[in-house]
Amino acid sequence: MKILIIEDEKALSNSIEEYLLEERHICEAVYTYRDAIEKINLYEYDCLIVDINLPDGSGFDLIKLIKQKSITSGIIIVSARNSLENRIEGLEKGADNYLTKPFSLAELNALLKSVNRRISFSGRNEIIVNEIRLLPDEYKVFIHDQELKFTKKEYELLMFFVSNKNKVITKTGLVEHLWGDYMDSADSYDFIYTHIKNLRRKLINNGCADYIQTVYGVGYKFEVEEEE
Amino acid sequence: MKLLTKNSLSLLSLTLFAFLFGIIAFYYLLRVEVDKSINSELEKRKTNIISQLTYDQSVKSITPFQNEKIRLSAIKNVENYPSRYYDTLIYNQSEKKFEPFRQRGFVVDVSNHKYYIQIFKSLEETDNLIVRIFLIMTLLVIPFIFIIILINRVSSGQIWKDFHDTIRKISNYDINTHEPFILRKSDITEFDDLNRVLTKMIDRIQLNYSNMKEYAENASHEIQTPLSIINAKMELLLQSGDLKEKQLKSVLDAYEASNRLSRVNKTLLLLAKIENRQFPESKLINPKDIFDYQFEFLEDLILSKKLEISTNYEDNVQIKVNPYLAEVLFSNLIKNAIRHNIEGGKIFIELTGKQLMISNSGSALMTDPENLFKRFYKSSTSKESLGLGLSIVQKICEVYDFRLNYDYQNDLHRIRVDFV
Repeated sequence: MKILIIEDEKALSNSIEEYLLEERHICEAVYTYRDAIEKINLYEYDCLIVDINLPDGSGFDLIKLIKQKSITSGIIIVSARNSLENRIEGLEKGADNYLTKPFSLAELNALLKSVNRRISFSGRNEIIVNEIRLLPDEYKVFIHDQELKFTKKEYELLMFFVSNKNKVITKTGLVEHLWGDYMDSADSYDFIYTHIKNLRRKLINNGCADYIQTVYGVGYKFEVEEEE
Repeated sequence: MKLLTKNSLSLLSLTLFAFLFGIIAFYYLLRVEVDKSINSELEKRKTNIISQLTYDQSVKSITPFQNEKIRLSAIKNVENYPSRYYDTLIYNQSEKKFEPFRQRGFVVDVSNHKYYIQIFKSLEETDNLIVRIFLIMTLLVIPFIFIIILINRVSSGQIWKDFHDTIRKISNYDINTHEPFILRKSDITEFDDLNRVLTKMIDRIQLNYSNMKEYAENASHEIQTPLSIINAKMELLLQSGDLKEKQLKSVLDAYEASNRLSRVNKTLLLLAKIENRQFPESKLINPKDIFDYQFEFLEDLILSKKLEISTNYEDNVQIKVNPYLAEVLFSNLIKNAIRHNIEGGKIFIELTGKQLMISNSGSALMTDPENLFKRFYKSSTSKESLGLGLSIVQKICEVYDFRLNYDYQNDLHRIRVDFV
């Protein structure tokens, strides 16, 4: 996937780039509104990561411009502003998603993948990891072509793991993904533990390899041998 | 004591005192005048008697007038009988009482006999007159005093009206309402000065306050960006495979701390926004929908704690609030009821158009319930919570003038929100 990162904070931009490069995306980064316009005019991107507060312009204007040119790129807004109005404005202007800073890179990555799926496989879309086949539009999971029932949270968990293969995912990151800001207590870690235990058991019992590894003290990792 | 009452009382006591004093002075002056006129009458009578005696040369010819007594005594020694006036009482046999008289005594020489003649003039009539004048005076003055006090009260009320208006506006003043503070213009210089000084002071306070809030909000915003850099870098560090377990743990701790910091920051920002009334638009909301959604969303939590939830919703409850704030308000209450619950505990929700009651089982608070809604207050049982949930609830209730109550009964924590 070809991604343009429009973010004026270089350190943050670099981190995003580094994380996404490991996912074998092609990334370019610009730090100003003007450069962004230049890049958009010259090249085509699958997805744009746009900060709202740029030193020489507003990310909203950028999105408006992109939509006017009927460019089909996916757009994810990242902003320090957490107000509902900003969120609504961004989505109305045509952004696909809105992330409030600070966000976790795993979350951004998962979002990118879902945006990409929506754009590139409009209609039919599935994710295949060895024996696991996910149909995100229908919330269905098949293992060895056998449909498996998952609870909503278990499904979301699996989806998040699959989106962030071979990455260490912290417990905090998982909690935030599943419950957003709603959970801020330690007992939520017990839930994560229970959910993961259930998910793992379900996968293994249905003839799936044990992909979910515990990274001691930190979190979990969905380990898949990369087939090149 | 009210100024008006104090004023009236002092006016009343002063006029009463002045009146008492005046009436005594008046009495003496009247007395002096009356005595003078009686003296001159007695003097005329004396001249009259002397001239009669000179003509008749016999004391027998003297006959008293009405209201008058004359006493004759033959005397040898003139020195003991001075010519003078004085008041005296004479016993009246027929009426059996003493009556006041004024006496004029003088010595006459009739056919070489010396007589001491005393003319007594009755004072009864004049005394009666004085008493009557006195009474009429009093009867006139008392209503007069009350009229003065009444006029004083009415005019004072008028004068102080502007002042009371100012007091009322100041006591109703709320720095968070964002309404301009305007005091009525007064035609009394002192009150006008007071109003001017107050308006200036409040303008200054308001400016400082809004600067401070703006600063807090901007600071919170500015903190978000460096925090996101920290978080991103930590996440990258966690991904790099060459960290030892110990280092990994350190990175993780730092990562969690910065996550926590950003959560605190976000929540404080939300609080600041609520205080700044940055959620103006409102819609009709049924809290039931929010509860249903929350129960589904937090299903795992409820199941794992084996909580028993019973709800009692009145049909078609609608309250007019900002949709976002409503969600924050009700979800915070639910989360609170779940978090501070015990294993196998209960949650009761009772919702009517007038109030919402959320009860949950749990052990009694260790501290004063007053602290419950304070920022960063935490009960000892959950160290990980930020302690901001209920202060957000309180702030939202403040915005909409909802009343918030807490009590603890039968092992149940009960939070009640009155919508009216």
